[in-house]
Amino acid sequence: MRPFTLNYALSRGLPAVVTPYHFDASLQLNVLPDGRPAVSDRDLLLAVGTTTSTAGSQTHFDD
Amino acid sequence: MTVLILTSEQDVTADMAVAVLYERGVPVMRLDPADLPGKAVLSADYAHGDFDGHLSVNGHVLSMGGLRSVWVRRPGEPAAHAEHASAWLTAETRQALYGMLYSATTRWMNHPRNAEQARYKPWQLRVAHRSGFAVPPTVITTAPRVAQQFAEVHQDVVVKSASGPPPDDPTLALPTTLIGPGADFSAVAAGPALLQRYVPKRADIRLTCVGSRLFGARKRAAPGQVDGRYGDTGYVWEATEVPDRIANSVHEYLTLSGLAYAAFDFAEDEEGLWWFLECNQGGQFGFVELETGQPIAEAVALWLAQRAMDRRAPESRR
Repeated sequence: MRPFTLNYALSRGLPAVVTPYHFDASLQLNVLPDGRPAVSDRDLLLAVGTTTSTAGSQTHFDD
Repeated sequence: MTVLILTSEQDVTADMAVAVLYERGVPVMRLDPADLPGKAVLSADYAHGDFDGHLSVNGHVLSMGGLRSVWVRRPGEPAAHAEHASAWLTAETRQALYGMLYSATTRWMNHPRNAEQARYKPWQLRVAHRSGFAVPPTVITTAPRVAQQFAEVHQDVVVKSASGPPPDDPTLALPTTLIGPGADFSAVAAGPALLQRYVPKRADIRLTCVGSRLFGARKRAAPGQVDGRYGDTGYVWEATEVPDRIANSVHEYLTLSGLAYAAFDFAEDEEGLWWFLECNQGGQFGFVELETGQPIAEAVALWLAQRAMDRRAPESRR
């Protein structure tokens, strides 16, 4: 029998987040293609949605 | 003295605090436990009644004697990226890494011992009671009859997951959902169900706590909206004052839980009362800061940058 709670699960499709930045190991920060830290472009971070309370829900449920 | 941040490389929210630490000249080591062993290297010596340990990753080296604080943000499972990853290797690596870190004298945000307990939603409800919050009646049960009776008594009832969506299926979401009339509760016997009286709300509240600093944020709810995390209503997060009664309860909760960082979720009802929903010990704050402009990352960085004045004292709230 399927657990009761899973009867209320929704399919949301595979997350298709493409982040326009990559991790720079020497800086220990994510950087944009032009070398600026990703955090310098706050509008972009909002648009990407990687800081939201559901962004890490598959690995860290206490978001 | 170095701040150690345990998180994944992709964690751009951590970047927000790292940037502040850099501005203030505080050394940082960022490590994903998933990269140990491999990209990261660890050694700890226990000899002649003394202890020292070292971590290195990406050209950065940290001695345990130079460890200022540890921020447990979004760490991967130890050894998850190892060439021969296995459950055993994860367990061995967890012993090596966290055993070494626990051997050092340092400040934690949050200490894994406290974080582990704080993740339990039923326990959160009890601590919320003791802290003086308004808590919606809740039951967690594997008894269909108990679930049925709860729904009959409270009428409008939501179901929510205690642990989040199934980790092995990234396509599934489990938003908090209203149970309609005439629900069949027989499947409660197949797995614990967490049911809670629905709170009709006019807003969601996210209250982020960093040490003793509180950052309240409020987002209007759409009519009938249940889970504020899902659905685009067009409303945005805005900074809001934290009532004194709530602040007092928050401080009590943090004292009882030993947390240095926490993100509380409340539902604000039509009378303006904040109902406790949950407390996320590792809750995201990036979206709140980006929308409200509240300096949460700076607060985190300042907390991490502090030096312990008396290392024998409890450290979670300073």
